[in-house]
Amino acid sequence: MEKRIGVYVCECGPNISEALDIDRVVEAVSGMDGVVVADRYKLLCAGAGQQHLVDQIKEHDLTHLVVAACSPKEHESTFMSVCEKAGINPYMFQMANIREQVAWVTPDKEQATERAIRHVRAAVGRVIRHTPLATREIECNPDVLVIGGGIAGLSSAALLAGPERKVYLVEKEPALGGAVKGYEKLFPGMRSGSELVQRYQAQVEANDNITVLTGTTVKSILGFLGNFEIAVENGQGEGQEFMVGAVVAALGMKEDTESLGEYGYGEIDDVYTALEVEAMNLEGRLALKNGDAPKSVGIIHCVGREHSEYCSSVCCMAGMKIGRYLKDKLGDVKVTGFYRDLCVPGCDAEQFYRETRDAGMEFVRVGRVEVHDSGNGIVLKCGTAEGAVKEEKVDMVVLLPSVQAAEDVGALAEMLSLPLGPHGFMIEEHEKLAPVNTSMEGVYLAGGVTGPGTAEQTLSQSEAAAGRILAGLVPGRKLETEARVSEIRADLCAGCRTCLTVCCYGAIDYDPMKGICVVNEVLCRGCGNCASACPSGAASHRHFTSNQIYREMAEILK
Amino acid sequence: MTAASSAEDNVLVIGAGMAGIEASLTLAEAGAKVYLVEREPLFGGKTIKYEEVFANMECSTCMAAPKQQEVLQNDRIELMTLSEVREVKGEAGDFTVGVHRKARYVDAEACIGCNACFDPCPVSLPNEFEENLGERKAIYLPCPGALPNVPSIDTERCVRFTENKECTLCQEACMFEAIDFNQKDEDVELKVSGIIVATGSDLIDSSQLKELGYSGEGNVYTALELERLYASNGPTEGTIQLRDGRTPSSAAIVHCAGRKDTGYCSAVCCMYSLKFVHYLKDKLPDTTVHEFYTDMCIPGKKYQEFHDRMKDKVNLVRYDELSVSPNGGSVGISYKSGAGTNEKLDVDMLILAPAMVPSRGAEELAGMLGIEQGGRGFFGSSTGSPAESGKGGIYVAGCAQGPKDIGQSVAQAGAAVGRFLSAASRGFSGE
Repeated sequence: MEKRIGVYVCECGPNISEALDIDRVVEAVSGMDGVVVADRYKLLCAGAGQQHLVDQIKEHDLTHLVVAACSPKEHESTFMSVCEKAGINPYMFQMANIREQVAWVTPDKEQATERAIRHVRAAVGRVIRHTPLATREIECNPDVLVIGGGIAGLSSAALLAGPERKVYLVEKEPALGGAVKGYEKLFPGMRSGSELVQRYQAQVEANDNITVLTGTTVKSILGFLGNFEIAVENGQGEGQEFMVGAVVAALGMKEDTESLGEYGYGEIDDVYTALEVEAMNLEGRLALKNGDAPKSVGIIHCVGREHSEYCSSVCCMAGMKIGRYLKDKLGDVKVTGFYRDLCVPGCDAEQFYRETRDAGMEFVRVGRVEVHDSGNGIVLKCGTAEGAVKEEKVDMVVLLPSVQAAEDVGALAEMLSLPLGPHGFMIEEHEKLAPVNTSMEGVYLAGGVTGPGTAEQTLSQSEAAAGRILAGLVPGRKLETEARVSEIRADLCAGCRTCLTVCCYGAIDYDPMKGICVVNEVLCRGCGNCASACPSGAASHRHFTSNQIYREMAEILK
Repeated sequence: MTAASSAEDNVLVIGAGMAGIEASLTLAEAGAKVYLVEREPLFGGKTIKYEEVFANMECSTCMAAPKQQEVLQNDRIELMTLSEVREVKGEAGDFTVGVHRKARYVDAEACIGCNACFDPCPVSLPNEFEENLGERKAIYLPCPGALPNVPSIDTERCVRFTENKECTLCQEACMFEAIDFNQKDEDVELKVSGIIVATGSDLIDSSQLKELGYSGEGNVYTALELERLYASNGPTEGTIQLRDGRTPSSAAIVHCAGRKDTGYCSAVCCMYSLKFVHYLKDKLPDTTVHEFYTDMCIPGKKYQEFHDRMKDKVNLVRYDELSVSPNGGSVGISYKSGAGTNEKLDVDMLILAPAMVPSRGAEELAGMLGIEQGGRGFFGSSTGSPAESGKGGIYVAGCAQGPKDIGQSVAQAGAAVGRFLSAASRGFSGE
C-alpha cells in the first residue's frame, strides 16, 4: 500500500513560531520520501486543531501522521486519538518535540530552525517504518491464591472473597493465625492479638467463597496475571491443582537465629528470645527454668543487628510489651531494656513508651551488651555509649532478635522466578509507588515477606494487595495487552536464552519443544532489554525496531 | 462487586497528594468515577516539593509526574483543584457532598501553559509554595512544572479583586484568550457511595518552638525550606545559600524539633535529615555538616544502609536538650549532649526537622465527615485496620492517619480502596 505521510507543525502561539522559522521546517520535510502534505497550524492541540487534523487525514487520504509540537508527554495521547478518530491506526503516528527540546532551549533562531528541521525529518524517517499495532484481549480468572494464614493472609482473603471470586487460603501449619495468634497483646494499644486474629478468622471461616487449606504447601505456580496454574500438596502428600488470576504472598516472618549464640542463647539458662517469652506468657508461665518468678529481667534490643544490617522496626516496642507482661503479671520484678536507639515511630508509639516507663520498666542506653554466666546468675556487661562498661546482674534475659522473612520465602521466589532482595526479603516493584506489587504482574506482597513491620503496617499491605486485585481483576472483564511490546522471531531464535536473563518481568518463556524463546504479551512491558541483548537479532521491540531507530538517528545526525 | 455496578459507583477522594493519587487511579481502574478534590491550585502534595526521596535518592518530581499525568488523562477521574469539601450528608453507599470550587479565572482548555501572563502582572508577593523563599505574581503557577499546567489568579492579591481596578495586563498578554475574569466560584453537589480521606499532614509551625530560634528570617530554616533551596525548580534553582546570599561554610540539622510539644516521633525525619546530608555535601562539599539527633529512628530493611553511607560525611551528635540563638551572622547552638555534658557550637545555617501534625482544617473535616480523630488529631479508628475511619463508607489513607513515608502512604491508599471495593460489593452491610 502506498505510504502517504502528513506533517503538521504547530505554532503553539508565539512559543514555536517566534523561536524558529516554521516555513523553512515545512519546506525541509516537504520533499521527503512519502510526504504528501506538510503545513503549519496555529494550535493543533485545541479542539479546532484536532478537527483540522482529522479533516486533513481524510482529505489527503493519509496513512501516517507526524505532528511537530510540544513534548509527547503533553499531547501524544491527544494526537493518537485524532488518528483513531480519522480511521488510521494510532501507532502510525510520530511526534517531534520542537518546543521543550528546541524552541524553549535554543535562543538563536537560526540554530533553533536547524535543530527543528532535524527533529521533524527524524520523525518522518521513523514514521514511514511504523507498522499498525493492536492490543489483544484475554480471558482471566478472578480467583486468588493467598499464601499464609496469618493476619496478612486472613485480612486479604476476607476482603477479596465474594460470590464472583473464590479465594484459596493456603497455610502450611495445621492452624490459621500466624505469629500474631501467639501474642497475648499487641503494641502500642495493648489490644488482644488473638482477638484481632479471631476477627479476621471468623470472617474467613464464615465465607463460603474461601477454601482454607491448612497443613498445605504450594508446590508450583505457573503462568501469568489472570492465568496462574497452582499446584499444592498437603502433609499426606495429596496434591491438588487449581487456576487463579492473582497471588498474594503473605508468608510472614521469623526471628534471626544467627547471632543468638553470641548472647549466650542455648548455653546459659534463662536466656530466651522474644517469641519464646510470648509463648511462655500465653501459657501463663512467665518463670525461670527452675519455676521461680524472675526478680530481675534484662531485655536486650538490636540482637543481631550487626549481622542483619537493618533496624527491624518492631523490636523496641516488642521489648516494651514484654516489659509490660512482666510488670503486670509478676509485679515485683525489675525490668530493664538495654537499647541503642529508641525506635518508636508514629503517633502512638512514644505514648506507649511513656506508659511502659510509668509502669516501672527502666531503659538504659548502651552500646554492645555481653551476656555472661557468673555461676550465680547472669551478668550483663554493657558498654555504654561513652565507652565505660557497666555490669548488671539479672535472673532472666530476653533477646530481641532481628526479624527476617519466613523460611519458605526463598522457595516461593524461586517458584516465581523473582529475585530476593539483599536481606532475603522479597522486592517490591517500587519502594514508594508500588509497595505491594512485585515485578511480576498479578503477584502481590503483604507483611513479613517484604520487610519487618508492625501489625498495622501488615494490615495496610494486605488490604492494599486486596485493593489492587479487586481493582485490576474484575470478574468478567478481559485483560487488554499492551501494543508496544517485544516479539521474538521463531525463525531467527537460536534458543540461547540470553533474553530470559535480562527480562525483569518474567515475560519470556523458553519452549523446550521448539527450542526457542517466546514473549508473553500480557507480562511484557516493552522495556526492550531482550531486543538489545539478543545476539541473533530475533528479539525486537515492535515500536522500536532497529530500522526505526537507525532511520531516526540518521536524520538527526545528517 | 460486579463490573456493571462498579461503573455506576462514584467515589470522592479528598486530597491529591501521593495517597489521593494512588487511591484515585486504583478506583478508576476498578471502574469507579472519581472526584479528586484538592484545595490547592496544583496537585501532588508534599512529594512534589522534594528534589529527591530517600533512600535511593530518586528524583521526586520525576517519580510523581507520570502518576499525575495518568490522573490528568484518565477520563474516570475528575480532578477538582482550588476546591474544598463544605458539607457531607448521608451514609455508606449514599453520600451527598457539597464542594466549593473556586474560580481559576484561566480557562484550562484554552491555556497552553506558556506563562506569558506572569510578567506583566504588577503584583509581586512571597510564594508560599516556595516556603516564601521566592516570589510570585498574582497570576501564577506555584512552581515550574506544576500540574495542572494552568495558572490561577489569586483573588486575595490581584488588584482587580482587591482594589476593583480595571487591570487587564495578563489578559492582554495571553495569545489564547484563556484568561476569563467572568468565571465564578461554584458550589457543586456530588453523589458518591464512598469517601477516601487523604488530606496529608503539615509541619508544626516552627516559630512556635521558641527555643529553636526560627522566625522565617535569619539563618534558621525548616526542612521544607531546605527542600526548596535544593530543588532545581525552586527559587534558587538548586543553589543552597543563606537568605543574604552567602554560602554556608557550616550547617547543622536538628532532629525532633517540636517532638516534646507533639509527644510522638514523626517517623520520617531521621531519614530525610540524613538525606539533607547528601543534599548539603552534594552541592557544598566543603561545608561541615552536623546532625543533632535524639534517637536514630531508621526502621525497615532499606534505611540503615543509607544511614551507614551518610554517617561518615556528617558529625553525628546525640542531644538531650538543645536551644538556638542568633549569634551575629551565625546561629549559636547550646546543647546537653547524650553523655550529659553542656556544649556550644556556632554554625552558619541551621535546619530544623519539625514534627508532622494533622493538616490544617483536620478537626473541621472530621466533624463534617463524622469520623474519629485520635488524641493526636490524626484520623482513624483505634480498633480497626489503619484504613478504617470509624465510619462506614469512609476510609483514611496516608499521613492523614499519622506520620508515615511515601511507600506506607501509597500502601494505605491501596488498603482504603480495598476496603471500599470490598464493602461496596457487599452493599456496605456490616459497615
